[in-house]
Amino acid sequence: MLSHKKPPNIIEIQDVRYSRGKRAIFDGLNMNFPRGAVSAVMGPSGTGKTTLLNLITGQLVPDDGAVLFDGKVVCPCSRHGLYNTRRQIGVLFQDGALLTDLNVFENVAFPLREHTRLPEQLIRQIVLMRLNSVGLRAAWQRMPSELSGGMARRVGLARALVMDPKLIIYDEPFTGLDPIAVGVILRLIRQTNDVLGITSIVVTHDVAEAEMLADLIFLISEGKVVASGSPLDMQQKASSMVRQFMQGLADGPVPFHYPGTSYADQLQTMSRT
Amino acid sequence: MSTETRAIDIGVGLFILLGLGSVVFLTSQTLGSSGLSDSTSYTLHARFDHIGDLKVRAPVALAGVTIGRVSQISVDPMDYQASVELRIDKTFDQLPIDTFASIATTGILGGKYIELGPGGDEEFLQDQGEIEFTQSAILLENLIGKFMVNGTADKDD
Amino acid sequence: MTRSLQACWVSFSQFAATFGGFQMFTLRLLPYLPRAILRPRLITEQIYSLGALSLVLIMFGGFFVGTVLALQSYSTLLEFGQVDALGAFASEALVRELGPVVTALLFAGRAGSAVASEVGLMRATNQLAAMELMAVDPLQRVIVPRFIAGVVSVPLLAAIFCTMGVLGAYLVGVHQLGVDAGAFWSHIQDRVDLFDDVGSGLFKSFVFGVSASLMGVYEGYYAAPNAGGVSRAATRTVVITSVWILLFDFVLTGMTMPGV
Ligand SMILES: Nc1ncnc2c1ncn2[C@@H]1O[C@H](COP(=O)(O)OP(=O)(O)O)[C@@H](O)[C@H]1O
Ligand SMILES: [Mg+2]
Repeated sequence: MLSHKKPPNIIEIQDVRYSRGKRAIFDGLNMNFPRGAVSAVMGPSGTGKTTLLNLITGQLVPDDGAVLFDGKVVCPCSRHGLYNTRRQIGVLFQDGALLTDLNVFENVAFPLREHTRLPEQLIRQIVLMRLNSVGLRAAWQRMPSELSGGMARRVGLARALVMDPKLIIYDEPFTGLDPIAVGVILRLIRQTNDVLGITSIVVTHDVAEAEMLADLIFLISEGKVVASGSPLDMQQKASSMVRQFMQGLADGPVPFHYPGTSYADQLQTMSRT
Repeated sequence: MSTETRAIDIGVGLFILLGLGSVVFLTSQTLGSSGLSDSTSYTLHARFDHIGDLKVRAPVALAGVTIGRVSQISVDPMDYQASVELRIDKTFDQLPIDTFASIATTGILGGKYIELGPGGDEEFLQDQGEIEFTQSAILLENLIGKFMVNGTADKDD
Repeated sequence: MTRSLQACWVSFSQFAATFGGFQMFTLRLLPYLPRAILRPRLITEQIYSLGALSLVLIMFGGFFVGTVLALQSYSTLLEFGQVDALGAFASEALVRELGPVVTALLFAGRAGSAVASEVGLMRATNQLAAMELMAVDPLQRVIVPRFIAGVVSVPLLAAIFCTMGVLGAYLVGVHQLGVDAGAFWSHIQDRVDLFDDVGSGLFKSFVFGVSASLMGVYEGYYAAPNAGGVSRAATRTVVITSVWILLFDFVLTGMTMPGV
């Protein structure tokens, strides 16, 4: 091919600053997501994992710094450019975010119908193939309300894959699922990544699953990446923060108590009023 | 899926037909035509000096029974008389040629209609025939006016 | 005292803020309208659920408003010896006022609130965000078809309402109260004007249709993404639309009434 070499990282996050109101959620965030790998982004609830995904997909704009997709800045300055980028990214929402007035088949067919003028027969083939790969070909006529949480997520995955994205992002894919469903999703993420040769970013706070699945783990806290590396590296990191998170300790650098005045002070001030 | 689409198409089609039909109905009621069709009725003409507020579709009655409708009202530009077209039910096609038409009122202030008084001639009125003997509307305000100025000099109308 | 004043001020400024946001939203929708014609299927589906499924309610409402109108006006007209004008009275009231207004109010309650809660729920369950991320613009795909369907449906519903009302008045007036059928229709024909009455009624219901539909999609689109937000969106749609309709009706009646 004549085209110049693609950058090794599909997503590069460069010195991103982002704040909500006065609170800085990210302050000098730097991350590189290598092509072809399954990367896990981990961190306590409320650190801004979902915010990070929204920055990558251009739903939010960084106050400072840049997010690069395939070497190009993700910028909602042009709707056309942004939508072009988004067509190459599949996102799987926590609950699948299926369109409730369409059945399973039509949900998966939705991006095809919106973006292509393929003949009906070809659409049927593609959709059934995707549904087959998530094991739900037989459920094609069901409505989203008739699906279990795990099934809805699998349909969501089939839909995210139907446009052959280069990158697929999963937001908390394991939350609220029974162990069998977790196992199914785990397998699907890995399989999709390797068979289709795409890149995956998995946002999660499930340590065990992340260790099983990911090639690369980022641990973010307080607006920065506190540690990153392969699952094995992360196990051996001595930092107390990493240990608390990876081993699930109630207290540590992330305190058990929501920060505030001391117990005694609060009792006094509250009894005064 | 396609049966559902069909149902939606049919529903929407019926809805729009019903809606447009209603618009046409409302429009036609304001423009209107007489209720009697050509096949069940025949036409007569009558001329009046003044028709009061007689309206198209007003009843045409014989001995108080409605046997037809006023279908058209116009003014003859030659003699300035009101020319009224009546559509009469075909079952009443034996009206003598000297039938008398007058504009009457239901109640004191009620609407105007045409009352027919059958004459005695052997010949009957034909379709498109003309009723020769007519009496104009009695205009209440004129009556009152005449009554009020009674005794003083007559006024020209 | 100051408290209630304050509350008044708060609700007024909320109303003003809503109005401002509403205008922005309307302007944003405008460029989408021509392109919506390319996907007539989406509009038909919405005409079905907003218009066709409101038919029974509207026909029922129109019929009974017509019968009540006939019963109510009969005794008054009788007193003045004008029972023949029953049809004209009922149709004029229906075509000019009751048809457009009651239809729009019923539509806001039945369809406007449904749109608001449907779109609000799509917001709350990330369906709109999912579309965004699939590079599908929810304004084009979800909002505009519903808006256009509402705008198309309301005048049709109003016409059906009026027709049912006139038929209701006819049944009661002619078959029950003994008004002459010819007089009933002839007075309608004489009194009701195509442009002044039917035309202005349709124009009104078009304006009402625009407001009810816009309000529904606006409230749904900006609903807070939770159960409370969705139900608030539905309620606000009905309340604000109703107030607007009555307000607009006053203004439009003033504008279109001959001799005012
Ligand atoms: N719409 C919003 N308005 C204000 N603050 C928000 C909003 N969404 C999220 N936040 C704040 O941003 C922080 C990061 O949120 P989020 O990215 O959802 O965290 P995570 O996904 O890691 O749990 C949270 O502390 C939350 O309070
Ligand atoms: Mg989150």
